[in-house]
Amino acid sequence: MANSKIVMGIDDIPMWASIDRHRLELQTCDDCGAIRYPPAPVCPKCLSEKATWTAVSGEGTIISWVVFHRKYFDDHPPPYNSTAVELDEGPIIVTQLQGDEPEGSWIGKRVRLGYAEHAGRTQHFARLIATPAGQA
Amino acid sequence: MTRNLSKVAAVVGVGHTDYRGDWTRVRAGEKPRDSVGYGADAFKAALADAGLQASDIDGLIVGPTTPYERLGEVLGLDVRWGGQADAMLGVIQACMAINAGLAEVVALVYGNNQRSGGANYGGDNAVGGASFLSYIYHAPWGFTSQGALYAMMFRRYMEETGLTSAELGEVAVAQRLHSSLNPNAIQQKRITVQDYVDSAFVCEPLHIFDYCLINDGGVALIVCEGERAKKIRKDPVTIHGVGRYDLNKGATSLEPRLTNYYLPAQQAVAEQVFGAAGIGPKDVSSMQVYDSFSCHIPLALEGYGYCKVGEAGRFMREHGISVERGLPVNTSGGHLSESYMQGWAHQVEAVRQVRGECGERQVKDCNYVHYSSDVAGKAVSIIYGR
Repeated sequence: MANSKIVMGIDDIPMWASIDRHRLELQTCDDCGAIRYPPAPVCPKCLSEKATWTAVSGEGTIISWVVFHRKYFDDHPPPYNSTAVELDEGPIIVTQLQGDEPEGSWIGKRVRLGYAEHAGRTQHFARLIATPAGQA
Repeated sequence: MTRNLSKVAAVVGVGHTDYRGDWTRVRAGEKPRDSVGYGADAFKAALADAGLQASDIDGLIVGPTTPYERLGEVLGLDVRWGGQADAMLGVIQACMAINAGLAEVVALVYGNNQRSGGANYGGDNAVGGASFLSYIYHAPWGFTSQGALYAMMFRRYMEETGLTSAELGEVAVAQRLHSSLNPNAIQQKRITVQDYVDSAFVCEPLHIFDYCLINDGGVALIVCEGERAKKIRKDPVTIHGVGRYDLNKGATSLEPRLTNYYLPAQQAVAEQVFGAAGIGPKDVSSMQVYDSFSCHIPLALEGYGYCKVGEAGRFMREHGISVERGLPVNTSGGHLSESYMQGWAHQVEAVRQVRGECGERQVKDCNYVHYSSDVAGKAVSIIYGR
């Protein structure tokens, strides 16, 4: 067994550099405004190469989650979760919910990205956005 | 003019390795064969089933886990047309080649030593990562294995539709019933829904019984031009329709998995394949579904119109999906309980059901068998019949 690894394609390098600076920057198409995730050489909507790396707000909504009960990587001892979050800007990312977990279904819960050291690299995680008592 | 591949070709021979025997040997630490060896054994069995000689073969399609040239060399096959493809595309490509006059008798051969060779479907060096970025891209967050991708997909489906864990368990229970009636199947012991619910999670919400086996083996099919097929044997199994639709947009960010469960792809293929065959879901006697994970079954039932969208849980529980009641699905036991041959063994089962050779698990009056797969949003269907 080994630690999990980043898949670092040439288009991923600027994104991971931004994560090192504790923000998540993605390419916004200069021609049609579409946001790419994962990073890509051209815009899948209009095939334009022109794009500007822009930080996302870091807020989003959980759309699904799983809990691993089997060990696949040394740096992820089970049980642990992987969580799919739809960012407010549109892209769906996979991250890990840390801290408090919702009672019952996680779907629809609002989260904010944070950044932490993990296995010798910096990566994002999600935390529930605290809601005032009485509001779910 | 609408073109399709209906009745262009028929299956005249099927063959496979000894799944149970090799399972036992591999678990005892033996390496009975490599991928080429398993393919060779299956090819010989398929030739014998068809009553053909190797010299009758003029086309060769080899599975993705088996080297094309080496297999052709080992089997002594020089051919006028050849290629490499997965099970579903292999059958379609054979029909296309025959339709184009590029070949007349095509051997499809697959061998896989995935168990004895130690293939990993999750973690470091996960199989398939080179072709499907989603299999490896989210690894930094521990999100690995194809099972986890389907767990993520099906969690949302369950939350959205209310399908319960016990309802999903109907798949594993029915397929164990089938495998217990199949002497070739690796898993011979029946289970109950309670056994399923009580079983361990691998990636929650999926239990161990939702996962396919990982075993060694080989499968071969001989696909032949339709008129010649009738001269080769009295009961060739005709391919009445094929179809494919691929969802690639947003695949790595899991968008099609999580927003529509591949439904549009399956619906598009339903139109193609039922249109080509001139039948509908009501005419289908048995369905064979690529079941790397149990959740493929409810999604296929909805995608092809066997039940309403969002009602697969109720359909499986009330109507049934076994040879005992309802629509018999994966009558061999499938990947979960017979053998994980990546869709290849499902073609064999479809052919044998149409021929009426399935003994205790035989579907009565089996006129049409519908094969479906939706691996990573690449929906494919084939309809076999008399």
